[in-house]
Amino acid sequence: MLKQDRRSFLKTSALIGAGITGLKSKDTKAQTRHVISEDRMGVLVDTTVCIGCRKCEWACKTAHDLPAGDIESYEDRSVYEKMRRPDDKALTVVNEYSNPDPTKLPTNVKVQCMHCDEPACLSACIVGAFSKDESGSVVWDTEKCIGCRYCMIACPFQIPAFEYDKALQPDIKKCDFCIERTTQGQLPACVEICPVEALTYGRRKDLIEVARKKIKNYPDRYIDSILGDTEVGGTSWMYLSGRDFQELDFPKLGEDPAPGVSESIQHGIFAYFVPPISLYALLGGVMWLNKKKEKSKEE
Amino acid sequence: MKKISIIILVFISASIYAQKELEQHPMAKSLECNYCHSCEIPTKDDPCLYTCPRTHMVTLQHPVEDAPEVIVLDELKEQSDLYAPVVFSHRLHAEMSNMAGGCQLCHHYNPPGVILGCQECHENSRSRTDLNKPDLKGAYHRQCIDCHREWTHEVECASCHLLNEKIVADEVQVKDYSEIKHPKIIEPTKIVYNTEFDDGDIVTFYHDEHVNLFNLDCSSCHSNSSCASCHDTTPLKLEPTLDQLHRVCSECHDTEDDCTNCHIKKERPRFNHELITGFDLNKYHKNIDCKSCHGKDGFKGLNDNCGTCHTDWSPGNFDHKITGLILSESHEGNDCEVCHENNNFKKPTCSMCHDEDVTYPDFMPGEEI
Repeated sequence: MLKQDRRSFLKTSALIGAGITGLKSKDTKAQTRHVISEDRMGVLVDTTVCIGCRKCEWACKTAHDLPAGDIESYEDRSVYEKMRRPDDKALTVVNEYSNPDPTKLPTNVKVQCMHCDEPACLSACIVGAFSKDESGSVVWDTEKCIGCRYCMIACPFQIPAFEYDKALQPDIKKCDFCIERTTQGQLPACVEICPVEALTYGRRKDLIEVARKKIKNYPDRYIDSILGDTEVGGTSWMYLSGRDFQELDFPKLGEDPAPGVSESIQHGIFAYFVPPISLYALLGGVMWLNKKKEKSKEE
Repeated sequence: MKKISIIILVFISASIYAQKELEQHPMAKSLECNYCHSCEIPTKDDPCLYTCPRTHMVTLQHPVEDAPEVIVLDELKEQSDLYAPVVFSHRLHAEMSNMAGGCQLCHHYNPPGVILGCQECHENSRSRTDLNKPDLKGAYHRQCIDCHREWTHEVECASCHLLNEKIVADEVQVKDYSEIKHPKIIEPTKIVYNTEFDDGDIVTFYHDEHVNLFNLDCSSCHSNSSCASCHDTTPLKLEPTLDQLHRVCSECHDTEDDCTNCHIKKERPRFNHELITGFDLNKYHKNIDCKSCHGKDGFKGLNDNCGTCHTDWSPGNFDHKITGLILSESHEGNDCEVCHENNNFKKPTCSMCHDEDVTYPDFMPGEEI
């Protein structure tokens, strides 16, 4: 299946070469679904509540048919000695940050895809495999994916992972917000298992209200900021914290959507196909001059 | 005619509506509205109730012995088959909570007159509309885990509930907790701290005085003590700040300006009212609560004039008998100042009327009881 897709993509690439670039890129855009629903769902992660039990990691793997192992093995806290990132074998991981106040418990932070409202991965994907679903999930179509890994580079949170050790049909892997479960009315696996409800699942706009109320009612507990409210144009997963987000390894990001940057570069390079043609013209010119030189030398 | 009949109809229906009894708020008689509601006009859609914890609303207190002994927390059984229900030794935990804030530590919201369990407020479903408070599963775990975690530094699910797959019999074993009690806490009498304060490195703390003499409850100082402060198996290397170190004392003592209040260069003797204030707590004042004199304005110095505390005493109504001396008839009618010059009630003087050889206590102005 994938092979055929790749072939068809190469075919279209040849057509691009033949000079009908504009038309093709329009087609790709039309295929990409980017729905921002009023009622899109989200998750509010309260890092002041998370206890670092890592049950979400187990539930995530179990829900996505990844080797999960024994649930009790997740109680081993020695994994916190190293900072971990989500990868193709663990779509979400929890890290631990020791508290600057030694009399207090450390802070645990769950990391996974933030499900941006303006996803950079969606914008960067050259085959339009990604889509932002009306449920809020940013998902991708494995059948379309050609494994170019542009999404990995584009993502401001460096989330998408790649199955490097698979020789055949390697796939992009990232949190899909349990779209299969949520369409059946179930909760995302991590949300369902969380013993302390550090992950609150609900409509994104309701969650923002909940978060604002918490900050207002407990000013000593939280810093006055919701990560994901406005960052890179807003994300479906949002975080509350008692300490600065940069201390918890969150990248410092502006409010402009990440695709704004990548798209302007990409579209700038290929604008009306002028820069490539002028590059070819330049190279052609150099070749022509060189040839001319050689000719005159021969003479 | 038609118009008149419509007016009559409206009048009748309005009168019938007015007869209908208005729904009475259950608490309206006993409480002010703003006790629970933060806005002027609460509605059913927006009751604007104060957020939890609302510990000040707790009116019903009962001794630990009356608390239910064991509660099986199995409400979450329908939702998850991963872990077995928790057999919660409720009374034992209530006993233990004495040092950390009491019943209200968990029962943080009780409308006057009732004690509510967690499930009364926290919904037993994670998919719900009110996301402002945690669901039941979240509420249970948040109450338990922080203390358990401080204690062991681990998150061991198995210390409260086993995995269902590991339970051989189907039934959850309810252990008998009736005989298990938190061991009595042995109170220290005196603790001597060696501090790094140069001008007075020794702080002598008489624990028993604070409890017996100054009538402090455990919770006055230990309300924030976690189980871990005694039970922590692997204590964190704490380096508390100066503020954190002094926090408990500064509730009553001035720890900002006068360090030598507590920090001196040698061990301090026990509390002696006469030595510190010059006012001897003699037989009349010995057994009374500090706060009956010092209650209103904290432990500030009081005037040693009797009238400072005994405001109802005046020369006309004072019965000298309560001092242990019944005045003789010849002395009875005197003003206080005749014998107690300059308000000196310790040693009366007789020189106002008598020769110099008549002195107290060789000559008594009446009969001692």
